[in-house]
Amino acid sequence: MSIIQANGVKKWFGDFQALKGISMEIAEGEVLVICGPSGSGKSTFIRCINRLEQHQEGEIIVDGTELTNDLKNIETIRAEVGMVFQSFNLFPHLTVMQNITLAPIWVRKKSRSDSEEKAMELLNRVGIPEQADKYPGQLSGGQQQRVAIARALAMDPKIMLFDEPTSALDPEMIKEVLDAMKELAKSGMTMIVVTHEMGFAKEVADRVMLFDEGMMVEENTPDEFFDNPKNDRTKLFLSQIL
Amino acid sequence: MVDVIKKNVKALQESLFSSVGSSVLTIGTTYLVLNFFRGMFGFVMSSDKDWLAVLNNMQLYMVQAYPESDFIRVWISVGLTFVFSGISIGLWRSEDRSNVSVIFDRFFKIGLGVLFFTIVAPTFTSYMGNDGSVITEEIFSRSTRLGLLIPTLIGTVAFFGLKNMKINFSYNNSDVVFLYLFIPVVLLWFVKLPVIQLDQNKERIMPDPLMPIANTTKIPWSIIFVMFLISYFIGIYFKDVKRLKNVMSISWFLLPLLIFSWIFKKPQIDMGEVLTGDIPIFFIFFIVGLVTVLFINNPIVKKYYSIYLGIILVGTLAGIFISIPMLAKACLLLLSLFSMVVPAVSTSDQGKRSLIIIWFVALVTLTFLLRGGASETGIVVPGSSIFGGFSLTWLLAIFGTYVSFPLGVMLALGRNSKLPIVRIICTGIIELVRSVPYITWLFFASVTLAVFLPAGVEFNLIVRVLMVTAFFSGAYFAENIRGGLQSIPKGQYEAADAIGMSPFQKTGLIVLPQALRAVIPTLVSSAITAFKDSSLVTIIGLFDFLTIGKTVIDNQSVPVNFVGHQRENLIFVAVVYWIFTFTLSRRSMKVEKRLGLGER
Repeated sequence: MSIIQANGVKKWFGDFQALKGISMEIAEGEVLVICGPSGSGKSTFIRCINRLEQHQEGEIIVDGTELTNDLKNIETIRAEVGMVFQSFNLFPHLTVMQNITLAPIWVRKKSRSDSEEKAMELLNRVGIPEQADKYPGQLSGGQQQRVAIARALAMDPKIMLFDEPTSALDPEMIKEVLDAMKELAKSGMTMIVVTHEMGFAKEVADRVMLFDEGMMVEENTPDEFFDNPKNDRTKLFLSQIL
Repeated sequence: MVDVIKKNVKALQESLFSSVGSSVLTIGTTYLVLNFFRGMFGFVMSSDKDWLAVLNNMQLYMVQAYPESDFIRVWISVGLTFVFSGISIGLWRSEDRSNVSVIFDRFFKIGLGVLFFTIVAPTFTSYMGNDGSVITEEIFSRSTRLGLLIPTLIGTVAFFGLKNMKINFSYNNSDVVFLYLFIPVVLLWFVKLPVIQLDQNKERIMPDPLMPIANTTKIPWSIIFVMFLISYFIGIYFKDVKRLKNVMSISWFLLPLLIFSWIFKKPQIDMGEVLTGDIPIFFIFFIVGLVTVLFINNPIVKKYYSIYLGIILVGTLAGIFISIPMLAKACLLLLSLFSMVVPAVSTSDQGKRSLIIIWFVALVTLTFLLRGGASETGIVVPGSSIFGGFSLTWLLAIFGTYVSFPLGVMLALGRNSKLPIVRIICTGIIELVRSVPYITWLFFASVTLAVFLPAGVEFNLIVRVLMVTAFFSGAYFAENIRGGLQSIPKGQYEAADAIGMSPFQKTGLIVLPQALRAVIPTLVSSAITAFKDSSLVTIIGLFDFLTIGKTVIDNQSVPVNFVGHQRENLIFVAVVYWIFTFTLSRRSMKVEKRLGLGER
């Protein structure tokens, strides 16, 4: 049973067509890595999954609900889908703890004490329980991204989307974020990760996709993708990136 | 000791004479400051200035012609404000502590300043006499100078010693407010001020005798201080009750309304009207609200709820034009707002319970305030209005800001809205209001506004002025806040969307707090502008603080002749304005610091 289904998703920004008909399926618990050159539409595609961008043609079904303009559907889906951004996007006026408990308290209407307990658990999981009362501005990039992961997890999402989570980080901080993501993948979370970290793709992914110019040019298992790519575009991409 | 002095001298050298340019600047500024001080000092002390023109008219300055028999109302309003402040300071008491040496240091610096200015103060001053000749007189004799210098020197040295003794005693930063307030309140009981006394021929007795401050001043202030202190302890005691903080925030919003409608005015209430009008209306609306909350989850009610909502909205609109009691109109408006909120909140029993409580409290408050506000006042004051002097200035500033700030927030959000109609209306209001001078709006309030109101609705001039002031400064607030809204990165909106927040939650929890924080300095400067601009109401015949000083006292000839003493009064008015705006800007700097602007 697939948890996300996309059929012929097309999207234009003005005259520019960013997605030229993407079709795919993801099963529950699967880890999918999407890579590709910049401007290939990979970020746009995962942003379509929780409706931060609207697709114009085709359909996306998330957990049995189709994405339409109906506001109720969008809010239900957003509560089920966690997202981690390239630039963290933590709320700078709230402490780490408040950042994480905000959505459970206001969207899920949970009690404050339960949410805080859960938040501490999540901070332990991403390895920074001691930073709970600090403000995002006082943390390093890697710590901020881990808080962002904890914030997304606090909603108990079924799916996690990662939009280039390590691109804005210093090399020595990338590892700590990737470790948190690996741990998450092992716990059985459904994940879609847009990244250039090929090591992560090799180690964790169940499937790897290559996007180019708004199209999915290759879909493969990691071993096949890296050792024996079907498509010439993939070979070119891999030769440039590795 | 020698080391300390050496260190200070070196620091002075480095900061004031580090280069040729800075030396020139230092000497130049010192020269200017000295001359300004000597000039001002001569002006203040010379014998042709009559400062009694200010001192003797304090009552006029504060409340204009408000009758003395109703002064208790003024004191109650001042007292209530202090009690509220006390509770708030207690509730939000900071945990920051400072070492006591900070206070000693402050007194030491004040002592140094006094010493310096005592030494450089001029001995003689000259002024132009009535016949055009220059009169020179001694204003600061050697003995007075010494009499001031010696105790100040002793005090300064003592504080210098205390400050360097490294006393290990710290105090809470919130507590020290009370120390600073305690000093003037105690002084009230000891200071003697010159007062004017008349002999049996109604001639002024010269020289004016020194008298202790009147009991009618010092007793109320002492009581208020004690109340302030008690409420502070109450606040500390209930510090951990979270709900009380919300109650306090709302109370602060209601306080000016209460003072305006019940305390500063003596409502003449017709009990028959209350029994036949207010109470039935109150119960009808309360029951309607109660029923809505209780039966909202019933499937049949749910199905037809949008129709019900439509009927209420139409009723509210119709209510504006048909003649029903003011209270019913306001209740209808409140009911339509309430009915929109009900379905979202009453999902749990707890939500329902708090909704009913909120509905009850809101209705009681509305009825109470409207009855007080709409009733005739029993206070008869000669002149255009019962407010005058500083109480009018204060009312315009506080009330104007209270109403205009939420209005500004709404206009700013509306102007950024995605809905075209809302956006166009808000942009229209902002542009219309901003592009017409404030003075024009004041004339509009005094002359034209009545034409635009429904027949039979009439407001006091002050209320009309408040209405245009609210819109005028609201438009400026809106533009400031819009600047803040635009500074929020797109990622913040996306992050809020991604965790499933509704548009209201996104605005209230993520966007507005950050936007307002970013524009605190401009908001404060707008509030200061509003405070100062309130003096413009003089042109439509209201007697604000400045008008009292400039026009009223200058024309006073009975019982004492103060004609021609405008300058003293203007200086006094300027100093009072300065004290308030300066305090405001200092407070805002503290708030900014506390919110950590610039740090993160």
